Amino acid sequence: MHTEAEPSSLEAYDEMIDASGRPRPGMGTVSDVLTALGPEGLAERARLRDAYLDRQGITFSLSGRERPLPLDLVPRVVGAEEWDRVEAGIRQRIKALELFLADVYGPGEVLNDGIVPRRLVTTSNHYHRAAFGLVPPNGVRIAVAGIDLIRDEVGEFRVLEDNLRCPSGVSYVLENRRTLAHVLPEVFAGQQVRSVAEYPERLLDALRAAAPSDVSDPTIAVLTPGVHNSAHFEHAFLARRMGAELVEGRDLFCRDDRLWMRTVRGARPIHVLYRRIDDEYLDPVHFEPASLLGVPGLLNAARAGNVAIANAVGNGVADDKAIYPYVPDMIAYYLGEQALLPNVMTYDLSDADQRRHVIERLDHMVVKPVDGSGGYGLVIGSSATEAQLVAAAAAIEADPRSWIAQPIVTLSTCPTLVGESALEPRHVDLRPFAVNDGDNVYVLPGGLTRVALPKGSLVVNSSQGGGSKDTWVLDEGSRAPDGEGRATPPRVTRVRRSAVARHHAPATADDRLRQQEGQQQQSSPAAGVPQSVPDEVATPC
Amino acid sequence: MLSRLAESFYWIGRYLERAEATARLLAEHYHLTVEDRSVPEDIAAAVVLDALTLPHEIVHTPTELVRALLGDVSNPSTVIGSVGAARENARSVRDALSGDVFEALNGAYLTLTRGLTAAASPGASMYRVLERLMVVNGAIEWTMSRDEGHYFLSLGRSLERIDMTGRLLDVRHDLVWPDTGPVATLRAAAALSPFLRTGEAPTGEAVREFLVLDPTFPRSMLHSARAAESAVRGLQTLGGVDDGDLVRQVGLMRSRLEFAGGLEDSSAVDHLAHDTQLSGVGAAAAVAEAYFRQAGTIVWSH
Repeated sequence: MHTEAEPSSLEAYDEMIDASGRPRPGMGTVSDVLTALGPEGLAERARLRDAYLDRQGITFSLSGRERPLPLDLVPRVVGAEEWDRVEAGIRQRIKALELFLADVYGPGEVLNDGIVPRRLVTTSNHYHRAAFGLVPPNGVRIAVAGIDLIRDEVGEFRVLEDNLRCPSGVSYVLENRRTLAHVLPEVFAGQQVRSVAEYPERLLDALRAAAPSDVSDPTIAVLTPGVHNSAHFEHAFLARRMGAELVEGRDLFCRDDRLWMRTVRGARPIHVLYRRIDDEYLDPVHFEPASLLGVPGLLNAARAGNVAIANAVGNGVADDKAIYPYVPDMIAYYLGEQALLPNVMTYDLSDADQRRHVIERLDHMVVKPVDGSGGYGLVIGSSATEAQLVAAAAAIEADPRSWIAQPIVTLSTCPTLVGESALEPRHVDLRPFAVNDGDNVYVLPGGLTRVALPKGSLVVNSSQGGGSKDTWVLDEGSRAPDGEGRATPPRVTRVRRSAVARHHAPATADDRLRQQEGQQQQSSPAAGVPQSVPDEVATPC
Repeated sequence: MLSRLAESFYWIGRYLERAEATARLLAEHYHLTVEDRSVPEDIAAAVVLDALTLPHEIVHTPTELVRALLGDVSNPSTVIGSVGAARENARSVRDALSGDVFEALNGAYLTLTRGLTAAASPGASMYRVLERLMVVNGAIEWTMSRDEGHYFLSLGRSLERIDMTGRLLDVRHDLVWPDTGPVATLRAAAALSPFLRTGEAPTGEAVREFLVLDPTFPRSMLHSARAAESAVRGLQTLGGVDDGDLVRQVGLMRSRLEFAGGLEDSSAVDHLAHDTQLSGVGAAAAVAEAYFRQAGTIVWSH
């Protein structure tokens, strides 16, 4: 698994233009529209976008300051066939990861069989004994996953990391689409982009399916750390779009192994808690005792089967970056299949040989903390200073289990608006979102494309100043109208309802006078009233 | 509805009303002091600040008064501070608000915090603020369901309105500016045309009685007390946990105004106004007691 040859430094894959300089499939319209707009048109649209985002208050907090997530005007396009492969790969991965979690919090066969080293699981900071034997009502631990993908130098999608705890960003996917349609409608012309709007419904279905089996109409709540959390916009967005309650720890309490919220009509039970706070803060009885964000007694209520927690407690062991290299093996072990989406080559630094190999060529490596996220603690060898490299080497030697290393992969690039009106290539990744309702894994078509805005930067995290792009998956039907693929959508016919006459206030003498003057001046038959709808014209008086 | 959400709705109502009433008072007061120079500027500013229980050491001119009351996000007694506080509350209940309400409120906040300069024409700035606040209130009335959220918002608005009308009367325009004062009070309550339609002459006495006891004008204390009572009764009907104390307090406040009739002199009206303002404070405490701080909840300690 670790024997793959290290890719030599190749040119980044260009998402818009192919090797011969022609736009890739689906990028033709986008490219034409951008050319037609010209620099001034682009700058104008950028202003329109900023005003729109500002007014909507679509923001995230960056180091304490509230700001709009920078949305680039140029969409990123993924072809239909390519997407089918990505989707299948994500489904497969989530199935295997679910089985892995059920296994390590249960019989532990994958460890007994030596597929995944036991030491990596037991030393993971996110392997929680409090979750051992805690089986969710419908067995689903990964209700929502965000699988980070990158395109390597030859254009192949690879998994960079799995996010199985509280992946965020999906609200921006929906809002980006809405915003782009608002400020740059013409890029949508002539092609069908697969909709992302149904995500909240899919999530709600999955959360309802997760409810304890004796509850027929479950109450769903989204647990947020509060308004100062960087992702609060998203928490509120999802709660609103699902019609669920948005709760904070102080709204909740546990009694008799049940979870309750304080309402103006007294205490009301909650059956499914879609929590967007980390395990460590979830329940002070089992974790961080000083936490005010969570609810004391929540885990006991879950263990008693009275409330479902999504995502499940302890998922972090499966997205631990030191476990990540073993996911292809899990897929082979549990499903008997080969991984459809390859990993990025990764070194296990607890192995002395691999560690030496890495430290010798640190300037060609990316070093990441195993349980970090948001790009914090990341060291990119090629752009690090000598002092940073020395510090990284020392940190690895001191605690090899806390780090992984990967050869630097040059992320693919997309044209991106830089400054007022210039288009330049910038590196991008892709985070598709998947929702597991126990029967099916729904993969949101597209996902969040994050773009590294500084020139040449490979760090796309929004917490590191990254931006985002609307991400399109083209619908096959529209690309090949005569083709075999999908059935053409049924034609919608307009149903004509009988017209209801509109009432107008009786005109006063003054009005009548003015109206007659107006009619005398306006020779056109329309006179401000559509003639084709005679029912709607009320005769004066 | 979660108690925390209810509390936020209540405060959105209060802060929006506070911002609007303060802006109206400020706009009118500025015009008054520019046109009528019979009163020294620092005294003219001090009577307003006293009525709003704000310190007035550093305020001497009408422009300084505008700047102080327009304020900043750190002081929720000022216009910008109130709108900022309303927006903070709206952010935490964003999932329960209609998109229009949030956008309008957010837009009002952005207008106030960016590029609203009091220096050029304080009056024009205030009208811009009022215009934005009207949009917010329009969005509230046209897009919010008449459920608990609206009841709490409307309750907060009514109680704040009683308080702000009381404070407006405390400025005593009628005593400080005997000629122009009564009309200024009416304008500061957006009550000039409604008052004039009653056919009365705008004397200080008639104006004060109108703002306390008129049954139809929405900013009068009586009308606000009725609105507050209708909100608390609505909440009770929806199954609210109020044990009756809140309804009793608000009901008493309303009846004292409703059946005041035949008040002999203007000091009786002033007493009634003052008592009503205090009842409003009592009612606010009862709202918190009934809905926001429920007893008998389990607190985790370690």
